[in-house]
Amino acid sequence: MPSLADVGQLLVNGVMAGTILAVPAIGLTAIYAVLRFPNFALASHATIGAFAGYVANARLGWPLLPSVAIAFIVAGGVGVITDETVLKRFRPAGYITTAIASIALTIALENVVRFVFGNELRGYELPIQRDWRIGAIRVGPQQVTNLAIAGVAMAALFGFLGFTRMGKAMRAVADNPMLAAIKGIDADTIGRIVNFVGMGLAGLGGMLIGLDTTIDPLTGFRSILSVFAAAVVGGLGSIPGAVIGALTVGIGEELCLLFLSPDYRSAVGFVAILVVLTLRPRGILGQRAY
Amino acid sequence: MPYGLRMHEIDNGGDMPHSTREPRRRFLKGAGMLALGGMAPAIVRAQGEPLQLGVLTPLTGAGGFDGPRMAKAMQAVIDEVNANGGLLGRKVVLVVEDGQTNPEAAVRAARKLIDVTKVPAIMGTWASAVTSAVAPLCWESKTFLTTVSGADSITRLPHQGYLIRTQPNNHLQAGKHADFIASMGVARCFMMSIQAPFAEPTQTRATEVLKEKGSQMVGTLIYDKDKTTYRSEVDRALRTNPDLIYLNGYAPDVTILLRDLYRASYAGKRFAQSYAVTSKVLESLPHQVTEGVITVQPSADVTSPAYELAKKRLGIAEPDSYETQATDWASLVSLAIAKAKLATGTGIRDNVRKICQGDGTKVYSAVEGLKLLAQGREINYEGASGPCDFTDIGDIVDCKFRYNKVADGKFVLLKVA
Repeated sequence: MPSLADVGQLLVNGVMAGTILAVPAIGLTAIYAVLRFPNFALASHATIGAFAGYVANARLGWPLLPSVAIAFIVAGGVGVITDETVLKRFRPAGYITTAIASIALTIALENVVRFVFGNELRGYELPIQRDWRIGAIRVGPQQVTNLAIAGVAMAALFGFLGFTRMGKAMRAVADNPMLAAIKGIDADTIGRIVNFVGMGLAGLGGMLIGLDTTIDPLTGFRSILSVFAAAVVGGLGSIPGAVIGALTVGIGEELCLLFLSPDYRSAVGFVAILVVLTLRPRGILGQRAY
Repeated sequence: MPYGLRMHEIDNGGDMPHSTREPRRRFLKGAGMLALGGMAPAIVRAQGEPLQLGVLTPLTGAGGFDGPRMAKAMQAVIDEVNANGGLLGRKVVLVVEDGQTNPEAAVRAARKLIDVTKVPAIMGTWASAVTSAVAPLCWESKTFLTTVSGADSITRLPHQGYLIRTQPNNHLQAGKHADFIASMGVARCFMMSIQAPFAEPTQTRATEVLKEKGSQMVGTLIYDKDKTTYRSEVDRALRTNPDLIYLNGYAPDVTILLRDLYRASYAGKRFAQSYAVTSKVLESLPHQVTEGVITVQPSADVTSPAYELAKKRLGIAEPDSYETQATDWASLVSLAIAKAKLATGTGIRDNVRKICQGDGTKVYSAVEGLKLLAQGREINYEGASGPCDFTDIGDIVDCKFRYNKVADGKFVLLKVA
């Protein structure tokens, strides 16, 4: 019989994992909300962000926070460029074609990273610290930092969507593109902004994953299925839904260890998709962007 | 140096043939010359088609550290063979495909090698899951396969002899590792294995041997790959209070496990395969995280003359087990083709044991063997990775292991046994 401390530890681990997962999941869902296709190129942008942060931190010797900002900016910038030059051309052909093009794009970009940096595993220049013990619960200082960064990024995004003109315009396009166009909102500009923010979040998420582990050209690719699961469970297109979905997947994957062998952990995310979509076909929070 | 570049170099390096286009090009060139100046027609010199051999190493993914080096080692042997006149009067060309350490990608690449390039042999599958997926394609198409994958299940596949592996199988490895762990005085061992075909058989065999030697396996678990953290798995292991944790995974996940064990203040011993804790892994982790980690790998036969030749050929001081195994595959396949006087998978299968075991003259390189075969002599190839003697199902009979310990971010040799 598992003790209360075990359950507590798993819950803490789940919240930590879920919060990190939420950052790229928000990116995926925001892009979906506005441009209406699942952009799998998120995987390579997460990798690009992680490597941009690596260059800033390990090569240029920058501290953590500016490196995280670079991860966001570079991934966001690359996101705008790849969308303008590649994915935009596919959109008139329908969302399935665009989604498949995004898979092709992600493999291409991943190989660009591999060409430049090679295959080996790389770690950030950060001291590794022992965990804190709070009663019977173990918490890592790096995880708490990651949690704080993810929290701040999400709060900033919600502030942007809730209080700025551009954020409101983004929500308007997501809710009703035709009405937004009639009101004079330029869908192209909004598309660029959502790509910058969405892929920027992916890059930030990639770096957060890398901070806790190591990075290589497959960093983003390894997490994309969990990110996708989180976004779908929460309701693809709903930004708060992505957060709830990520926490559901993160905590679910950990708590399942009470009953299951750890090698079934990944299955939990996908069982969660099946259960949630069977009961609520539009995800936990539906598809309203905000 | 980026591996993409390396692959390109190997794949298309200057002398890569364009066999189907070549005659037409020559014809056009000749016709062009005639039309231009009415000069003498180009003489189309008869020349045998190059003999293409398949290489399917992981150039990317978890095996991306070993794969490119293995491909290079094979190319070095083939360069020597070509300098000696090639095989069956034909120049040998390696066609390199990337298995990506991914069964699905490797199957696609193998299909290309078998159906399009029509190679008689594929050399180089690395991960057990990849070999398990590629092997059926090979035996069904009568293509010979050489591998370093360790899972016991692989040589038990109904491969009809179309497969050999130079890597000790899992049973042999797990037994020797457990023996070594017990010899260090470890009383309580815990084993964390990645979900892979070798996970359970390794755990079972190591548990048996530890018990025989008076030690104990206090727990095992199998974890999922591609996770960003293994904190909960580490908690589960630490609850059993182990003196040693055997991390039986690949580099990306073992790196995370080592970090998580450090964070959890685990002070016991850690033991892993050398492919999981590579020099690149040591570079990517702070020294205090890797300090004291013990690694094991099947050792090249460092006392063999073939090993000396491999050193010179590759221009490196200490070729490792993977480079030497790749050296041996290229040599074994070349010699088997020469012995069979036929470049087919079946020819290689039927002749490979005739050139590497038995009473023939011992030879330590492909070229040396080819010269004797040309004189009609019998040979016994002794490899750089070991004696290269195979059982009926394609397993090697014996091999040595090298144990290293990490000190201050560097490997220090403990022993070869």
